[in-house]
Amino acid sequence: MTAAIIDGKAFAAKVRAQVAAHVARLKDEHGLVPGLAVVLVGEDPASQVYVKSKGKQTVEVGMNSYEHKLPADTSEADLLALIARLNADPAVNGILVQLPLPAHLDSDLVINCIDPAKDVDGFHISNVGLLGTGQKSMVPCTPLGCLMMLRDHLGSLSGLNAVVVGRSNIVGKPMAQLLLGDSCTVTIAHSRTRDLAAVCRGADILVAAVGRPEMIPGDWVKPGATVIDVGINRVQRDGKGILVGDVHFDSALAVAGAITPVPGGVGPMTIACLLANTLTATCREHGLAEPVGLTA
Amino acid sequence: MRAAIIDGKAIAARMRAETAAEAAELAAQGWQPRLVSISVGDVAAAELYVRNQQKSAEGSGVAFEARNYPGDISMEQLVGVLSGLNADPRVNGIIIQRPLPAHIPVKTLQKAVHPLKDVEGMHPASIGNIVYNDLALGPCTAVAAVEILKSLPLKIEGLDVTVIGHSEIVGKPIAFLLMSLGATVTVCHHMTRSVAMHSRAADAVFVAVGRPGLVTGDMIKPGAALIDIGINRVDGRTVGDADFASCAAVAGWLTPVPGGVGPLTVAILMKNAVLATRMQRAHYRAQYENTEV
Repeated sequence: MTAAIIDGKAFAAKVRAQVAAHVARLKDEHGLVPGLAVVLVGEDPASQVYVKSKGKQTVEVGMNSYEHKLPADTSEADLLALIARLNADPAVNGILVQLPLPAHLDSDLVINCIDPAKDVDGFHISNVGLLGTGQKSMVPCTPLGCLMMLRDHLGSLSGLNAVVVGRSNIVGKPMAQLLLGDSCTVTIAHSRTRDLAAVCRGADILVAAVGRPEMIPGDWVKPGATVIDVGINRVQRDGKGILVGDVHFDSALAVAGAITPVPGGVGPMTIACLLANTLTATCREHGLAEPVGLTA
Repeated sequence: MRAAIIDGKAIAARMRAETAAEAAELAAQGWQPRLVSISVGDVAAAELYVRNQQKSAEGSGVAFEARNYPGDISMEQLVGVLSGLNADPRVNGIIIQRPLPAHIPVKTLQKAVHPLKDVEGMHPASIGNIVYNDLALGPCTAVAAVEILKSLPLKIEGLDVTVIGHSEIVGKPIAFLLMSLGATVTVCHHMTRSVAMHSRAADAVFVAVGRPGLVTGDMIKPGAALIDIGINRVDGRTVGDADFASCAAVAGWLTPVPGGVGPLTVAILMKNAVLATRMQRAHYRAQYENTEV
């Protein structure tokens, strides 16, 4: 048996098309155009690429994109003043501060100054707590993308055994919450887990988010399981730099029922979900129904 | 019977004594920890809880003031009361007693408590901090259950733990507290296909569902710890979610109901009051210490 390959690129395009349709409707029916503000401090090359890509996709779905590029030596006071201004700006529905911030800035403090209703990354401590207590919140983009792909592939997740490998704040923990919200039985495994292989073998849904190249071999995967690989690791192979996931793709492909590739699996979903979150924030702000299928 | 029965009352007494020493130290520095309890409407409904808390406060050196507001008070008025308490430096913790009248949504009220005074650990920011591993003010019952596990001679790092029940104020916070401590946690609930399969694999089982007899001895790995958070009334008796006799024959440690997690919950509330006072003092100092007057 060979696993079905979940095409994240195609699915992300579908999500973006749905977002675009909602945006067009908001404009027609309510005269609203959602706005996403992205704040970039400093000149980290990877961050610049992300920000550019986010800005481009934001405009493509019909939203307004506001980019704020600040010098690397921006003071905390100036950054917080900008965030306060964006919090108060009715044209801005989503605010994203590109991480990592330069070392002299306290990213927790900065993130927690964003209005939780505009915190489209879902990192504000109140959003974390709201998700943790099953209330309406802004959900971090990467796990939201994984959830959408799982629902799309499996339909109902209720009663399935899900194992999340990795307990990071931005992927592992919110992923576990979302799977619980969809009535999975959830195990969170991590570096201190005694028998990781055995835990993984019990999973109908296996989400790998540790950031260690190919650490999960195919024989840790239960036959027929759905494998979501969040890891993106750059390794050298045959003298070339390539991207691999946390799961050993070739051996898992022979066992799993479905699997996301790296690249082209979870990655493309992240920005699509950022746009979905901006749309959701806009709808909530104006007391309109939330976009079906684009929220947790 | 082989299980050691965990004496929650004794653990609670030890904790109260520790809290009292810390409260006295804070009081000597001008920061006497003080709790205000808010109940709305029918006094009788929450009376037992309030009386229990008052007694525990006395034993912990924490000042305690019980306030009752009329049942027809508006949400706006209550939020106004909370704003006043949030701003009052003499008040270090606010307790919102349940039940509340139907027109007062409890979550809205909990969000109106300043996170630094949230001794019940119910504010989204408090839960968020727990998820992010900052084990500051946690929901009392969840923290109490985890404290019981910590009192046992087990290394929590790497421990396989199954939590049965995924309620917002007990099951889920227990899972996150344990995960922060390095346990491998599995959360089961009413949609779980085979709870027994997960519970039998666990070195420690927490059960918080509210169904008497849900966990039986054959669902427990021999020698495992079983922490029972359920409180059910059956034929005029109070029992937990575990079938005590069969579980006691298999488990290594077992909490009784009553007398297990329950007594510790109120002791944690008092510990939180001291913790909150200390956090407020740190916040105050950070804000004003360098202010020239």
